[in-house]
Amino acid sequence: MSYTIPIGPYHPALEEPVHARLITDGESITDAKVFIGYNHRGIEKLSTQRNFIQTIVLVERVCGICSHSHAFNYAQAVEACGHMNVPKRGQYIRVIMAELERLHSHYLWLGVACHLIGHDSLFMHIWDDREIVMDILEEISGNRVNYGMVTIGGSRRDIDEQKAADILRMLDKLEVSICRIRDILLADKTVAARTQGIGVLSTEDAIRIGAVGPHARASNMPVDVRIDAPYSCYDEFEFEKAVWDSCDVFARVVVRVLESVESIKIIRQALAKMPKGPINLGVKIPKVEPNEYMTRHEAPRGQLCTKVVTNGTDTNERVSIHVPTFKNAPTLAHMLRNNTVADAGLIVASIDPCFSCMDR
Amino acid sequence: MQGYQKIMISPEEIVPTAQRMRAEGRPLAMIHGYLAKEKKFNVSYEYEVDDNIESYTVETDGSLPSIEDIYDLAAQWPERELHELMGIEFEGLDTSERLFMPDTMLDGQGQILVTPMKELIKMAKGGEEK
Repeated sequence: MSYTIPIGPYHPALEEPVHARLITDGESITDAKVFIGYNHRGIEKLSTQRNFIQTIVLVERVCGICSHSHAFNYAQAVEACGHMNVPKRGQYIRVIMAELERLHSHYLWLGVACHLIGHDSLFMHIWDDREIVMDILEEISGNRVNYGMVTIGGSRRDIDEQKAADILRMLDKLEVSICRIRDILLADKTVAARTQGIGVLSTEDAIRIGAVGPHARASNMPVDVRIDAPYSCYDEFEFEKAVWDSCDVFARVVVRVLESVESIKIIRQALAKMPKGPINLGVKIPKVEPNEYMTRHEAPRGQLCTKVVTNGTDTNERVSIHVPTFKNAPTLAHMLRNNTVADAGLIVASIDPCFSCMDR
Repeated sequence: MQGYQKIMISPEEIVPTAQRMRAEGRPLAMIHGYLAKEKKFNVSYEYEVDDNIESYTVETDGSLPSIEDIYDLAAQWPERELHELMGIEFEGLDTSERLFMPDTMLDGQGQILVTPMKELIKMAKGGEEK
């Protein structure tokens, strides 16, 4: 017998609102529809009422996890409109923050995934490690969530020698731990039983629907903006794209754990090579000539696109923010089909969705 | 540094451009729109061409062909967003359901990106400015 089962909109997997309507035949999902828009705050509209510095504060509130990514990419777009060159040290600090953010985002997701899989001891172990990253983010910026590290023309706070030494000490701990977590995740029978062959998104479908980021890389698409279209100072570091070809939830777990190892590599290189000098251009509230520019940034969940149109004043004419979940959420209905109702929560979570990001 | 190139096209060129980009395997990064001077919509289709963005831009009074058939959901969701928040019509696009805004919001007038903030505040307060 066919039933329609509503899931959400309150906390179907992660603590974010989305609603899925599953058409089932017994335990099997035959069709699915996804509904979004439960957290629309009109941030793009509000950005047309604020100057560039105020907009940085605003766009950081698009997301609680990847807040730095939004500020980073918005600042890049405004700087490109105004032909500003960010000092190298400012670029390095932005990249270090971006990679720390990726680490805590991936750790958060890996923990949630382990919880949904039923491996709660690993969930606690991963979130324990995540706290180390959060402590470092707090030591650098004074905040655990919205770091306020970006300004137009560079970074707002420096990373001095003491902080750099603390980050390196933290990385030593994390590196040992993440390698152990990687080995467990790759070999554990519980993880394999709950994730392998579940929520498959083939490479062809990922390309057709336009998936991005770790979700695309787990469908064997070798895409990563940091390497394909380098920006800031990413071209000065050596790291690899984490790609996996099984196209299922297991691949999404593997990609994120491998990517965490790569992020640690990038932070180490950035700290070792960080040049001396100013961290920003010292501009307060710039006026930018009429122009437009779109920049891309590899946020923890995938490619983040920000387009800014300026009008010669200190206010935005228009800001468009297309977040990775806007590209990845349309794949959900496809992935849910032919799976069981019991796996629906895990499949929805497997794209590492941020519905608050998407709604803006 | 990522590059950005703006190319003005006519509405008739939207579909052939999308077909060419799809055939070349270029992802559609974004469909962006804003209300420019003289109440003309400025809509741009941002394609990723290696480390560049090619921004094919068109001016319109508010009706454009849909490229959903070519770019699938990667085009359908951004087109639905522009329809809902700016009132742009995309020929052939199913807009019977809302993407972001509830049907009840502002009596179904959820086109917040083209409605002046003062009017939005007035509508939110039930038509009376306080």
